[in-house]
Amino acid sequence: MILFLLIVVIPVIQAGYYSVFAWNGMGPAKNFRGLGNFVDMFSDDIFLTALFNTLEVVVVSILIQLPLAFLLALLVGRRRTPGEVVFRSIYFFPYVLAEIVTGIIWKFIYHPRFGLPTVLATLFSGHPTEIGLLGDPNAAFGAVLVVIIWKYLGFHMIIYIAGLQGIPRELEDAAVVDGASSAQVVRHVIIPGIRNSIIISAFLSVIGSFNIFDVVWALGQGGPVHSTETLVTYLYNFGFKRFAFGYGSGVAVVIFVLCFVFNLLYQRYIVRERENA
Amino acid sequence: MRRISSAVAGGEKGGKGGPLLRTLAGTIAAIVLFFPLYTNLVGGFKTNGQLISDPFGLPHPFTLHAFALLLGSSDQFWSFFYNSVIIAAGTILLTLVCSMAAAVALSRLQFRGRTLLFNFFIMGLLFPLTVAILPLYLQLRGLGILGSRAGVILAEAAFSLPLSIFIFAGFFRDVPWELQDAVQIDGGGIITFAVRVMVPISAPVITTVTIITMIMSWNQFLLPLIVLSDQAKFTIPLGVMQFQGQFTTGWDYIMAFITISLLPITLFYIFLQKYIVAGLTAGATKG
Repeated sequence: MILFLLIVVIPVIQAGYYSVFAWNGMGPAKNFRGLGNFVDMFSDDIFLTALFNTLEVVVVSILIQLPLAFLLALLVGRRRTPGEVVFRSIYFFPYVLAEIVTGIIWKFIYHPRFGLPTVLATLFSGHPTEIGLLGDPNAAFGAVLVVIIWKYLGFHMIIYIAGLQGIPRELEDAAVVDGASSAQVVRHVIIPGIRNSIIISAFLSVIGSFNIFDVVWALGQGGPVHSTETLVTYLYNFGFKRFAFGYGSGVAVVIFVLCFVFNLLYQRYIVRERENA
Repeated sequence: MRRISSAVAGGEKGGKGGPLLRTLAGTIAAIVLFFPLYTNLVGGFKTNGQLISDPFGLPHPFTLHAFALLLGSSDQFWSFFYNSVIIAAGTILLTLVCSMAAAVALSRLQFRGRTLLFNFFIMGLLFPLTVAILPLYLQLRGLGILGSRAGVILAEAAFSLPLSIFIFAGFFRDVPWELQDAVQIDGGGIITFAVRVMVPISAPVITTVTIITMIMSWNQFLLPLIVLSDQAKFTIPLGVMQFQGQFTTGWDYIMAFITISLLPITLFYIFLQKYIVAGLTAGATKG
């Protein structure tokens, strides 16, 4: 308990305190500057890119990753496809990998000289074509998003499968007997049936998105030219590396506030749901 | 039985999605998702030249050169490996002791503010370590354990506590109160009860927590990155990241490194998958 207090709780409070100073981490916190750190932050283009990228992860996770995970869950979570257990194991495995390892493997796959995009482009165009997605500031973050989807797809699939297994078989069968098509069964029986799973997976995916670091770091440390910076890589690059502890704490506070506000919304939503039920 | 027969019937009635078609779709998804891992797995057995000329084909000729180099002539790999093992072991031990003690208190003792304290810990599930990383650095510096493996262990254990407490408390709550009463009648207190009764019956939960803590520690990058500065103390993720910077062309070496570092986790995954999936999604599915 003391450990938790010391290592987790106190630092969070300290982050809030330091965020109003321009401080290098040496000696007592000094140079009080009020909200100056936050003003600097929001007038820094790189910070805005980081914020925008982070929000992009949220949007892509919800709009692309979760539906894909749902489709996979439908495919291998309803005891209708032979070999489901094997498939599930394969789909889930990327989640168990170290994020840093994930990033490095994909760095090879994206390699401009012999990576997959280059190989495919050469194959289809008939002449040697080099495609370096990670080196191109306009394409790099898209490439990062693909990796993020790949890594966490299986995790969300498992959450949906847990939800699917709570739907009584009879309910689906009854709908089919009543003449519902597969699409109608999914729309009117399955989706309402796994509502909670959907809410939880969306929630975790948003909180996770705010904290993406390792994968991005391995793929390019926020570069090229800061185009793949996220809030946490920004925190590391501009707070930790430069010993700008006050400023870095300010970034941490922004992450904290995002998580906290989102948390509150979630709690309120869930509480209201339960009261209605 | 009824469930099985209706499952079979359901599969046939599925219309568009016959079992064969579904298996095909599943296989295609599996190939796509497994492709990066396959690339890495075969990559370690290729020469560097072949990796460049034929990055995604099967190794030809098959060579153990990279593995031999890695395991034989480089002490660095073993140093990373050793550090990762020590840190994982320390983290697991500390996490188990602290989280079980806290979970016993939170689920078996009546005291003021119990719910509040429990919720307080659960909040830790939702606030990730990135928020606390800078002050944590200062904290560890203040404690004088910055740059040491103990610092990493302490930090990793603290951040794995919320989930572990959550899992243990959920399990302990369902242990019949009669058992505790029986121990009390025999003159034993809560500690006797915890050590003699709770620990032995919670073997599966201990396994789950041990494995997920191990995976988290093994994979953790940001914490050791800020705490450790001496290369001799680097863990595998730090090491592989560093290699990747140094040997810009030595992909055979990097991939062999990754393959070996994945071995322990892959073995756990194959043989204890139930525990892993249960543990890693525990925070989620119970929500």
